[in-house]
Amino acid sequence: MLLIDSLTKRFSIESGTVHAVDGLSMRVAPGEVFGLLGPNGAGKTTTLRMVLGLLEPDEGFAEVAGIRTSKDPFAAKAKLGFVSASDGVYPWLSVREMLLYFADLYGVAPDQATARLKELASVMQIEALLDRRAGSLSTGQRQRVTLVRGLIHDPPVMLLDEPTRGLDVVGVQTIFEYIEHLRAAGKAVVVCTHRLDEAERLCDQFGLLHRGRIRYRGTLNDLREETGREHLVEMFVDLMHSTDPALTEDHA
Amino acid sequence: MKLSWSRLGRLTQKELRETLRDRRTMLTLVMMPLLVYPLLSMALNRFLLSSGMPAEQAFMVGVSSPDERDFLQTLIEDPRSAPPEPILKVNGGQLARFEVVVPEELTPEEALSQNLLDIAVQFQHGPSSIQSMEIVSYNNDQGSSTAQRILTERLQWLQLSESLQIVQRIDPNYQPIDLRIRSIGGKASGSILGTVIPLVLVLMTITGAVYPAIDLTAGERERGTMEALMASPVPRWWVLLAKYLAVVFVAFLTAMANLLAMFVTMKVTGLVSMLAGDSTVGLLQITQILGLLLLFSCFFSALLLSLTSFAKSFKEAQAYLIPVMLLSLGPAMLSLMPGVTLEGPLAVAPLLNIVLLARDILSGTATTAGAVVAVTSTLFYAAATLGIAARLFGSDAVERTSQKSFGSLLQRPDTVTNRPSMSQAGLVVALLLPASFLISNGLMQWLRIVSDSISVSSQLLLNALSLILVFGLIPLFATIIGKHRIRSTYRFVMPPLASILGAMVLAGGAWAFAHEALALADQFGIALLSDDQIERTRSLLDKWKTVPPWLLLLTMAATPALVEEFCFRGYLFSAFSAVLRPWQTICTTALLFGLFHVFVGSTLLVERFLPTMLLGLLLGWVAFRTGSVWPGVVLHFFHNGMLELAARYHDKLDFLGLSDADGSKHLPPSWLVAAALMVLIGIAIVAWSTQKQASESSIQN
Repeated sequence: MLLIDSLTKRFSIESGTVHAVDGLSMRVAPGEVFGLLGPNGAGKTTTLRMVLGLLEPDEGFAEVAGIRTSKDPFAAKAKLGFVSASDGVYPWLSVREMLLYFADLYGVAPDQATARLKELASVMQIEALLDRRAGSLSTGQRQRVTLVRGLIHDPPVMLLDEPTRGLDVVGVQTIFEYIEHLRAAGKAVVVCTHRLDEAERLCDQFGLLHRGRIRYRGTLNDLREETGREHLVEMFVDLMHSTDPALTEDHA
Repeated sequence: MKLSWSRLGRLTQKELRETLRDRRTMLTLVMMPLLVYPLLSMALNRFLLSSGMPAEQAFMVGVSSPDERDFLQTLIEDPRSAPPEPILKVNGGQLARFEVVVPEELTPEEALSQNLLDIAVQFQHGPSSIQSMEIVSYNNDQGSSTAQRILTERLQWLQLSESLQIVQRIDPNYQPIDLRIRSIGGKASGSILGTVIPLVLVLMTITGAVYPAIDLTAGERERGTMEALMASPVPRWWVLLAKYLAVVFVAFLTAMANLLAMFVTMKVTGLVSMLAGDSTVGLLQITQILGLLLLFSCFFSALLLSLTSFAKSFKEAQAYLIPVMLLSLGPAMLSLMPGVTLEGPLAVAPLLNIVLLARDILSGTATTAGAVVAVTSTLFYAAATLGIAARLFGSDAVERTSQKSFGSLLQRPDTVTNRPSMSQAGLVVALLLPASFLISNGLMQWLRIVSDSISVSSQLLLNALSLILVFGLIPLFATIIGKHRIRSTYRFVMPPLASILGAMVLAGGAWAFAHEALALADQFGIALLSDDQIERTRSLLDKWKTVPPWLLLLTMAATPALVEEFCFRGYLFSAFSAVLRPWQTICTTALLFGLFHVFVGSTLLVERFLPTMLLGLLLGWVAFRTGSVWPGVVLHFFHNGMLELAARYHDKLDFLGLSDADGSKHLPPSWLVAAALMVLIGIAIVAWSTQKQASESSIQN
């Protein structure tokens, strides 16, 4: 459903060229949750931006439901849902108006959008909020509204960028339930996070990203076998402290 | 997904909801007009009164006793105290009124000190009559010193009149010199309304547009909604267009609320009659002001959006806008200067042209040509600025690591593209307008001066050269800068051969209708040409008869066919067709094609608009069907060629029944029937020859 092949992005800075993403390849099947993990600056957000068609890759490509993002970015975007922790709301619109606006942006017909909103509002328990001004919502309520926004056009692929950042226990639990809902609905889900403990509970497949490259990839058991470590956190600490790049590249 | 009107309406509705529900918008929209104008008019009222203009209320004059009161009131009301007619006229035509009172329990001077009076008059009584009157005013009170001046003058006039009577009694033949006044110069310089309103329009539309422009662009970033917006599958310019419409609406509304508040306050305080004088503000003027308001809103909303699209925060946006507000006052002030007129380069100078237009319209001196050029160029500038905004808007949400700046607009992109974007095409159109206006204007002026020393052939060649310079080089330059593939941008595709034949047949019929349209315009006097211009055109046509036909075909048929087709059905067509539906692309390019044919030198050839636009529709349809620029070039060449040759050999075509006995240049009906048939056959051939292509493209769509 989501295919990424040799995706590469370089940025020019004063001191030379930085490989933000370097030959990244992965595949996420429907109903699968892929955790793209790594510390800040590992290249997670740049990867998402290329998949979203916001950044042009220097090499490689991303395909969403069979559509290359660089060839037809609008068709690809229509098949993607995107939720980020830094997402805001339009404070002066009601929740309903805001969600229907996004449905319109995604080309969902008005009557279909209303039906879809009703269904999602019940799943995410925001029925009571629909006619409230978005600016008056609490952080938790705002988060649920944002999650509904990402699904309003029923996309086959969902991208979640640091979805639990800044959330309390209840907020994090909501995200867990949301991802369960996505899995059950057969969406191909990519979760970008640096919260490795949470990722362990959430994801089926993992890609450990460091300096733009995927160093380990597979299920949690695959990674345990490969690294001899029990938890993702330990694997990562090893990776970061590893002074011999050749060693880590063998795993990639 | 294509942009439909209903979708654009819904997107705009969201932007409007967002901005109109915001308290800060309402503050500028409602509070400003409600508070500022009454305060401003109070100050203005005081100032105008003090500058000696007639007012509703009378000046209060204090004296010590009822006898003095009656005496002074009689003097003031004596008709001989009125200044002579010419002087009265200069001061507004109305006699200032004075009310003489005796203050209770206070001396006149004390009452003056307590601001109960405008002036006090102290009488000095002699044994039998009044010896002197001292008129006392209050220092630094403008109203008081005006009253002092007027009263002194009135009493002087009275004394003068009495003296004259005495002199005439002594010398009955004595006649004072008759003094009269009159003024010359444009009406505009005298109209306060014509100079004040444009200034107010500039200030009000900017005030109205500032907040929504910042809120709907930089505000998206601050709210954290920009990324989600950019991730959605809509072109950025759709979103921006919706935002633009919302900003125009709010700017228009704010300016209207301000103007309304201003007029109501002025009406209530009686300032309207002072500023407007005898001229009444009627329905026509209100419509004109509303039209100007819309034009100013369109211009400033685009300008402000382009700046705020670039800003990353509210603060940054505000920092950009303050200099713009101040700079905008420059052209507005310039329009107050006498002798600055809406013609030549000033007619296409951004902002200055609409300020001048506003001044001219309100003082009733506007010309159609100036108005059309100013309005059209302003709308083009707005479109171009919006194009820039579309390129900047959301760019930092997209490329956080390589943020765009204004300088990046001029940088060549890294990748080669197949066609220009809508915003790039918009910029080109905006550049074409002043360029074609200035070059053709300059050329015409120059030719007029040297017309005797330069041959008709050279004139025709120069004309062709100006066409190449504007419509050839500007799009070509944009194509090279923008790194677009020449072949796909200009649609240099080999069309089916039969379609070329179809285009030739089409041209064979179409020229006759263009000829008829021009003849009809000539007959019914639709043309805006003056007799002098018509005479010049006639003499030019006579001169054409001396030009070799190949040169006529080269300069008037081949050059326009190649250059204009490359520009309109090549560059612009490929840019528009990427985002618009086919019929929208055909109509837009045809409209622009028609418009550009209207501006020739400093004259407006309005009669050319309809036939050229219809030809543009035909050329657009052929370009769409064939997917190539070439059949259009052929059609255009034959169309122009036949039209020019028919004009050149008009006299020699008598035997074909071309020249009617009544001297009109209409074609015989049999020709028109044949021409209509040819058009139909041509259309059929083009449609038939491109059947396969059309079905393929409909599948792709």
